[in-house]
Amino acid sequence: MDRARRWTEQAGPGLTTPPACAGEHRRTAVLPLWGWLRREAPSAVGREGPTPPSQQRDLRLDLFRGLALIIIFIDHIPENILSYFTLQAFQFYDAAEVFIFISGYTAALVYGRTLAVQGAFFATAQILRRTWQLYVAHIFLFVIFIAEVSYTVTTFNNPMYNDEMRVADFLEEPHVAIVKALLLQFQPTFLDILPLYILLLVIFPVLLLGLRLQPLLVLIPSFLLYVVVQAVGLSVPAYPEGHVWYFNPLAWQFLFTVGAALGLRRTRRPHSPPPRAWLLTALIIVGIGFIIRLSWTIHGIWDSSPGLFLKELWPVNKNNLAPVRLVSFFSMVIVVGSLVPMEAAFLRTAAVKPLILCGQQSLEIFCLGILLSALGHFLLSEYSSSIGTQLGVNVVGVVVLCLTAKMIDWYKTMGRMPRAAGAAGGRGSAMSP
Amino acid sequence: MIRRCPAASSMRRPPLAGAIAAVFIAFVAAPGYSGEGQCDVPAELLRVDAALPNLSERLRAGNPVKIVTIGGASTTGAAAGSPDLAYPHRLQEALDRWYPAVPITVVNKGVPRQTAQQMLERFPSDVIAEDPVLVIWETGTTDAVRGVEIDDFAAALQGGIDKLKMRSIDIILVDMQFSRSTATVIDFERYLHTLHRVGEVNELYVFPRFEMMRYWSEQNVFNFDGVAKNERASLAARVYECIGRKLAEAIRLALQ
Repeated sequence: MDRARRWTEQAGPGLTTPPACAGEHRRTAVLPLWGWLRREAPSAVGREGPTPPSQQRDLRLDLFRGLALIIIFIDHIPENILSYFTLQAFQFYDAAEVFIFISGYTAALVYGRTLAVQGAFFATAQILRRTWQLYVAHIFLFVIFIAEVSYTVTTFNNPMYNDEMRVADFLEEPHVAIVKALLLQFQPTFLDILPLYILLLVIFPVLLLGLRLQPLLVLIPSFLLYVVVQAVGLSVPAYPEGHVWYFNPLAWQFLFTVGAALGLRRTRRPHSPPPRAWLLTALIIVGIGFIIRLSWTIHGIWDSSPGLFLKELWPVNKNNLAPVRLVSFFSMVIVVGSLVPMEAAFLRTAAVKPLILCGQQSLEIFCLGILLSALGHFLLSEYSSSIGTQLGVNVVGVVVLCLTAKMIDWYKTMGRMPRAAGAAGGRGSAMSP
Repeated sequence: MIRRCPAASSMRRPPLAGAIAAVFIAFVAAPGYSGEGQCDVPAELLRVDAALPNLSERLRAGNPVKIVTIGGASTTGAAAGSPDLAYPHRLQEALDRWYPAVPITVVNKGVPRQTAQQMLERFPSDVIAEDPVLVIWETGTTDAVRGVEIDDFAAALQGGIDKLKMRSIDIILVDMQFSRSTATVIDFERYLHTLHRVGEVNELYVFPRFEMMRYWSEQNVFNFDGVAKNERASLAARVYECIGRKLAEAIRLALQ
């Protein structure tokens, strides 16, 4: 009830009245071009001088996105002992949900402000610019993938593995395969989440305008589409023939949209934690999910320990974001949103700083993570897969990710400094690449 | 009937399987070889707790036994040069030795490059029509290569299993082949995991070929990756022979 009232309250004034925080507008309005050059305009907000708490960067988003990126790196190394300790070992969902949800949330937070201050055209331009960056990153990863597969297959060539070597079939028709990759229809293993993100961002301008107009106008169709996918199994075709998008965008859009709706809401009214009344239900769902999923993980290691409801619930569909995943993820969002306040002191400690930095440089860290996990897998399968090597690969990978995030952060801060000093007059220089 | 077996379980989660196998090999298995030459694997990898009731009954009665092996290129055995060198034929040889009183036929229905779903579509003509008492289903490779949706893969497996169970035909599933090179470019893990879990849910024996071949590779019994051109066929023949023998051993264990 409480929630529903808030939604309607929000929808009404949003149409006519400007968003609540005037100070924030001034800040962004003063530096319109400045934000343009930055990946995420508010990333600087928290760092530059005192700002009212409601406008401070929500470090929880960075922290959990950073954590998700580290987990994605770990989970993407097949046969990795550490994957027994990541999210998917004790929850029905995994880091992909965290990543997509927070991406929707921050996108709405960032571009929602642009939309309010600088208008729809500029917000659209910013979103498309970001989409382009993602697209280029995806193509870059794809080229590396092609190099890896073609090298392996042409040097290997053992007839015992004829079936396996079909993995390089696309090399027989590069004219088709490359075009399909450019069209995002060719998604080799592990190169499947960026296409989803790219597609979601392409439609995001429309989504954002709709959400601003009336959240339900977007949320209801989005939910209905999700339900249709669950009911009749719609999917999006991919290359080669017979393939579908691994992350079905028709289903995953709902998670992104909900994230965006919540993020946009945040740009208009003071932040408030989820209603207290929901916490108990959410805790129960998270607890039950934890027990069941953990029992499966333990069952996978020691057979004599039973896998609870294994026959009934398994497999939990990831492609179409099965309701079991979605419900337990949303419950976790409520739990985290309620129990981890934005002002929590630990968010500013040195211990979580590396994760926060990773979350702030999400695109670079994601791409690097994919590369490092491929490299780590290569090392493990080529040389040694002992537990020691596995741990070593994980530790080195995580350290490299964190150091890279630190370096990018340093680079961006340095690049910003002279501009910050002469912000009033130096906008022209900020425009140049 | 104890259906849960540690070997199968560790296979379901290959990461730990590697770890367990490594520890096991280091501390437990090495001294206890049964002296079968290069095909040896740790006992852990040959633990069979599922039963084959229909085959068992047929053998006890001394009636002719027909086994159908359906699978991909590694079932066909073309890499070894002749169907007689493929693992189904080796399986038949081993079973003939152990059960000389019973006429046993192993039919090879390998067709390269097929997904589980495509094999399932061959069931009426290639499997049911043969009227076997046991079906050995080697699958998952092409599904992993093509990145078939995990749910579709699981559904195809379940469809095949249901078809066979309905007709009181025993089933053994065989998972993928291992090589370091292919493992770097193909994500087998999810498919291995799914295959083993489907086997478990249906109380079937899943022959851990992937883990066995990994063991041979790690022990330098066979080198799957850097093999010279003129040695390739004989390597394939030796590996298929080991697979056939181990399958026969697994069947004998299941019958006990």
